[in-house]
Amino acid sequence: MTAAMTAATAQAVVPTARALRWAPPAGVAVLLLLVVGLAGSSGRPADTVLAIAAAGTAATVVGGLHDPAAALLAPVPVSAMRRRLLRLGLLGVPALVLWWVLVSMAPMTVHAGPGPLLALAACGVAVAVWAPERVAVLLGAATPVAVLAVDRVAPAGSTVAEVLGWWLTDPWWVLGAATLVCAAGRHR
Amino acid sequence: MSTTVPGLTSPAGRTIRRRVLPALVRTESLRLLRNPVPWLGLALSVWALWTTVPEPGEWPGSSYEGVTPTVAPLLFGISVAVATTFHRGRTEVAPAAPVQEARRALARLLAALPFLVVTAGFAALIGWREHDLGGLWLGMEPGRTTEAFHTVAELSQHVALGLVAVALGAALGRRVSRLAAVLPALFVLWFVAMTYWLFGARSVTPFSVIQVQPVPVPVGPPSTDPLSLPADWLLVGPPHTSGWDRQLVSESLAWWHDVWLLGLALLLLAVAWPSEGRRRLAAAGLVLAVLGVVGQQVVIP
Repeated sequence: MTAAMTAATAQAVVPTARALRWAPPAGVAVLLLLVVGLAGSSGRPADTVLAIAAAGTAATVVGGLHDPAAALLAPVPVSAMRRRLLRLGLLGVPALVLWWVLVSMAPMTVHAGPGPLLALAACGVAVAVWAPERVAVLLGAATPVAVLAVDRVAPAGSTVAEVLGWWLTDPWWVLGAATLVCAAGRHR
Repeated sequence: MSTTVPGLTSPAGRTIRRRVLPALVRTESLRLLRNPVPWLGLALSVWALWTTVPEPGEWPGSSYEGVTPTVAPLLFGISVAVATTFHRGRTEVAPAAPVQEARRALARLLAALPFLVVTAGFAALIGWREHDLGGLWLGMEPGRTTEAFHTVAELSQHVALGLVAVALGAALGRRVSRLAAVLPALFVLWFVAMTYWLFGARSVTPFSVIQVQPVPVPVGPPSTDPLSLPADWLLVGPPHTSGWDRQLVSESLAWWHDVWLLGLALLLLAVAWPSEGRRRLAAAGLVLAVLGVVGQQVVIP
């Protein structure tokens, strides 16, 4: 059964890649490259811009889980979680490459590894897995955005800012916790 | 049994068409105002505004500069709500439907106009808050004030930004096939615009979306005696900058920036609009945008 599922997933790679909408992520990527380039030329720290880039890229990856053919594909012997993982893989690899380029372009940044990006994306996926089906992807994509938006306006040093800042200060713990939540919903 | 539908060109049909637009505006308006995202954005903006206060040792003008971008979460919320509404416009309707696409788009646009009242209200709140604080701090000795208030021209930007938020939401909502992809794009656009220090330089500020004044204008090297400069100039110098800069606050610059924003809004609306009337919107938008940029370039010393 597992071999059949793996074969079916492998066959689905090309059609899924074609079904994904690449123009919006490409637009977001170009915008982020321009802004980080501008930050580089102005010689100002780019931490805030990179935090926005992490949340925007994570939201874009989670938004890619939207599958208009989900109902049609429900009876096929490939679980919904496998189809999600396939989409995440297809969008996640370019997202990681983009993140690496942005970090290498950014002047004077404390962001280094892919931890913050992965942590925010995992939180979004966890919400998308457990939220009601009709709004699952929308709520999942909104999660990284909401975390950063509230984090940006919360007074520095407050409990809210501290908790919402875990994706930056302890990204691997956040990633681990969110992955466990996703694993618990693997049959959803 | 049969039902008789009056022809669209008949007097009865014309009456129906006249009544349909206000009815559509009412329905769309109620839907938009029930959307929680703009109100959550407003709450975040008000929270950010309230936590922006002058603090001893701050960068000269930091609190003054920090007030204007607090509107970004509200603008993001407005764009999301409008995008949701215009996204429904992607659903095919029978070509013979009694209300054509242009009128449906117009109804959605008119329904979003109450959000401009909200942005105007937020601008008024900024004014009230600044007076409540007794003014903000701007510049450093000898060119310093502790009673700086945003001018009406600067505050008017919030209404123009509200229009840009509506137009941006309309353009992305109407033209991007998946709403889940619109959300990250709007987030990145508005929160990048919020990082005002990237767009504060003299050469960049005319093209900025959220324009934050003062604009730094270099007036001399570090050895310049600041007392030799005009007494009414607000100044910033070493150790904050490498030389002496004038902190320019200009009402004319703010008004011309509003013209640029109006042009930008019309260009975005042209993207959202059905083919009929799109060219006229784009042409008007282009003229206003160019006029706004040229006006700002002329005003900046």
